[in-house]
Amino acid sequence: MNSLQLALRVLKIDRRTRTSAILTAVGVAVATGLVLLLATLPYATVNREARALWQGENYYSRNSEAPASLMFATTHDYFDGKQLTRVDVALTGGAAASTIKLPPGVPQLPGPGETIVSPALGRLLQANSPAQLGDRFGKPVGALGEDALRYPEQLIALVGHNADAMPETAYPISGFPSGQARPDGLLMLLSWVGIIVLLVPSLVLVASSARLTAARRERRLAAIRLAGATPGQVTNMVAAETTLSAGIGALLGLALSPALFGLATFVPWAGGTWLASDFALPVGLTVFIVLAIPVLVILAGVLGLRRVLKNPLFATGGHTKKPLHWWRLLALPAAGLFFLVAVLTAKDSGGITMVMAGLFLLVGSAAIVGPWVTSAVGGTFVRAWRRPSALLAGRRLRDDPKGAYRASAGIVLAVFAGSMALTLLPTFESMAGGGRSFQDPVLYVDTDAKHAPNLVSQANEALARYGQSEHAVGVGQVYLTKSENGGKYAVRALVMTCADAAKLTRFGFDGLCSGAPGIYAGQPLDPAEYRIAGEYDQAGLPLPPNTPVHVAAYHDSDLSSSLVIDPSIVPAGIVPQRVTVVAPTTDANREIVRTALAGPAAGEEIGSRDQYLFNQQTELGDLRRVTVIGLIAAGILAGCSAAVATAGSVMDRRKTFGALMAAGTPVRVLARALRMEAALPALVATIGAGIVGVLVGVGLFSMVDDRNMGIMLSPWILAPVVLGVGVALLGASVCTPALKRVQAEPLADE
Amino acid sequence: MDTPQWTNGPVLSGRGLTKHYGSQYALAGIDIDIMAGDAVAIVGPSGSGKTSLLHVLAGILRADAGTIHLAGQRIDHLGEKKRSELRRTEFGFVFQSGMLVAELSAEENVALPSLLAGLGRKESIEAGRQWLARLGLTGKEKRRPGELSGGEAQRVAIARALTHRPKVIFADEPTGALDTRTGRDTMDALLGAAQETGAAVLVVTHDRELAESMPKTVAIRDGLIATRLAA
Repeated sequence: MNSLQLALRVLKIDRRTRTSAILTAVGVAVATGLVLLLATLPYATVNREARALWQGENYYSRNSEAPASLMFATTHDYFDGKQLTRVDVALTGGAAASTIKLPPGVPQLPGPGETIVSPALGRLLQANSPAQLGDRFGKPVGALGEDALRYPEQLIALVGHNADAMPETAYPISGFPSGQARPDGLLMLLSWVGIIVLLVPSLVLVASSARLTAARRERRLAAIRLAGATPGQVTNMVAAETTLSAGIGALLGLALSPALFGLATFVPWAGGTWLASDFALPVGLTVFIVLAIPVLVILAGVLGLRRVLKNPLFATGGHTKKPLHWWRLLALPAAGLFFLVAVLTAKDSGGITMVMAGLFLLVGSAAIVGPWVTSAVGGTFVRAWRRPSALLAGRRLRDDPKGAYRASAGIVLAVFAGSMALTLLPTFESMAGGGRSFQDPVLYVDTDAKHAPNLVSQANEALARYGQSEHAVGVGQVYLTKSENGGKYAVRALVMTCADAAKLTRFGFDGLCSGAPGIYAGQPLDPAEYRIAGEYDQAGLPLPPNTPVHVAAYHDSDLSSSLVIDPSIVPAGIVPQRVTVVAPTTDANREIVRTALAGPAAGEEIGSRDQYLFNQQTELGDLRRVTVIGLIAAGILAGCSAAVATAGSVMDRRKTFGALMAAGTPVRVLARALRMEAALPALVATIGAGIVGVLVGVGLFSMVDDRNMGIMLSPWILAPVVLGVGVALLGASVCTPALKRVQAEPLADE
Repeated sequence: MDTPQWTNGPVLSGRGLTKHYGSQYALAGIDIDIMAGDAVAIVGPSGSGKTSLLHVLAGILRADAGTIHLAGQRIDHLGEKKRSELRRTEFGFVFQSGMLVAELSAEENVALPSLLAGLGRKESIEAGRQWLARLGLTGKEKRRPGELSGGEAQRVAIARALTHRPKVIFADEPTGALDTRTGRDTMDALLGAAQETGAAVLVVTHDRELAESMPKTVAIRDGLIATRLAA
């Protein structure tokens, strides 16, 4: 009988080995599926970007050798908070439409006045009046296919023009942008964090499953060794056993991965969901992952044989475990010190590799410190117990701290990652804000001095046509410059009256406008030191002497370096080169005003602080969503590991528990001891992991906290610890059915 | 079916006890009475039903038919919770390999039933120590089961079975894992201690010599009592 046949025989006749093998296979399947999903994320973003390359948002290779055939411009527009991509094109250089190679999914090149829209934009056009949306584009003449869209619900319009009607930002190209797409850097980083945060609980689940029958298997293998089997033969047997379950698990994970990919397509990222075809992993990498995970599990199984191979006699009987050394505790401060140095270094040099290494060391140090802490907690309970359940739990923790910690290792990592995320996310959220000086609902479009008057008049004509009372105004930008330490110091100033500034900006000039026109600033300045220029690199003219300076208490600190200057103060000869056309809006007419600006703006992006903040919230929402999904997945995996470890703990001691229950010990007493056994190390370890997670979050944030804003802690920071202990208890609650099963079994069955 | 009267009747009594697993009868209508202070050996070949009889009488298993009375009170119809309480308070158990809790020391193992019954830590441990001393295990109180010999472990199990002064001690092959001499010593310790407390002892055994040393023997075959012998 060879090793494989022996493994099959054992699986066939031993129910518990079968259960262990099935759970191991499930654990490997989950791990394989998750790694396949996480590994495919960067590729998914590449596939997305490859479809959207023609949209030209990330296209920089404009100096093509080939003659220009198209004028091309890409901008963003917005409708009802949703971003809309607008691609303006016009034939140039005498090129014919038939000579332009169309990107996949683009049915035709729109002529002047024509537009090709995505299906989602088409639906919006049908549902809203032309004043709200349709008038921003030409006549819709076709629909873009899925192959031309970044994500299925993308709002995009390909707008055709004559070359002379193209926006100022348009540039000549020889054909639609194409080339090599790049992965989304943030999602790539998150996928690596996800692999660590989710893979470890998956492998803990595998390890817990494998441990279910470890004692029994160890006895069997030791008996085989004592009967004369060589270490090689025993190793082969274990490898065969593990290969069966891990191999089947890996194939199961591969088979289930399309379902996981399918679920992932529903998770929005960067504004939209995904196509199923985005989640395509190269065959080589797929094969590597499907082979590597079971190989790791098999290696772990074979390495776990050391004791049987070295001394089978000890494996058949009891043995004394060595106490854990206190120096294990040093692993955490050592890793913490490394992380701290890495963070401080990275703040100066900007390198992130050492910080990631420090993070990895901190995660790794938990595996060294955790068992010692578990043992220490057990020791405390052994000394101070009042109830038998506390004594039983304390002794178990003291006797097998590594085994007891294993059950909560996944939870510890999930709590660490959760605490870190909940330290960073509220802080990032508190940092949200900023943006331009204009009030949130004010729409603005940047242009130059040459186009500004035309844009203002056309926009006001459109506003009048749409029956709106609002008016667009041009706000010029000038620079106040002075010499400082041998260099040039410049501050931007908006040229507008105090009354307009009070109405359109968020400086907060209430009560300031009654005085003589002058400069309005957040802090005092001496006009005699400054010159005024229409452009940053112009020499400019001195400010008129005795220019009044009104100091306002700005509402937002991020505006502190911005100024307002009354038009009457600007000397003749100073012409602002950059002009921002602004128009106030209400919730009711915002899209109409945007449409009124969009026409004359001819492809220039129309912004608002509302939209700026909305985009920030979309990004934060993406982060929140993936964090929550990741933590839920990690929590479920960790809970499963805890449940399997608890079931294993009951199985290991089924004879003792069976006898105790036969002698009248209530199941609830034993269940309480087992729950305590699971919850005690989880409680201590999760509190520790929570604290370390917060500290690491603070460290990571300090790297980007240039404004010394400090960390923003919310009460939710406690949630991972509470959830961690809850998950540990929930996982451990499996002990009650396990004990009842033992109770129902004949006492002598073994 | 007559109901035994406790005042002068058996401490444990079974009438018409029947238990079957599928189509196989383990007990086929057994009547048995155990008097206070009795020491009864139940013998029989493997599969004859002797362990089933012990488990049914102790309330570990529920009989398919028949009644059981403990000190005149019917107990077979009780729910699992009540039966567990009964096993914890009125019965003591000694199993083949001790079935001690590996994580606990000898004194903690002995103290366990008292602790589970709600007694304080100090009193329970002290009572445990006293029982260990009575069974000749002074100096071994702090040892774990793995650090005790087979005979010592069984004596710890006996101490654990007696510490709450049960009415009946059930012993399932208590010497099965011991050599002859240690087995005899262990049985002497069990019977001696039971005699001190007035507990009845019901021993299931394969060991003919052990059975013959007991005051009473009940032989079981095919789920029925074959013979009853009294010394």
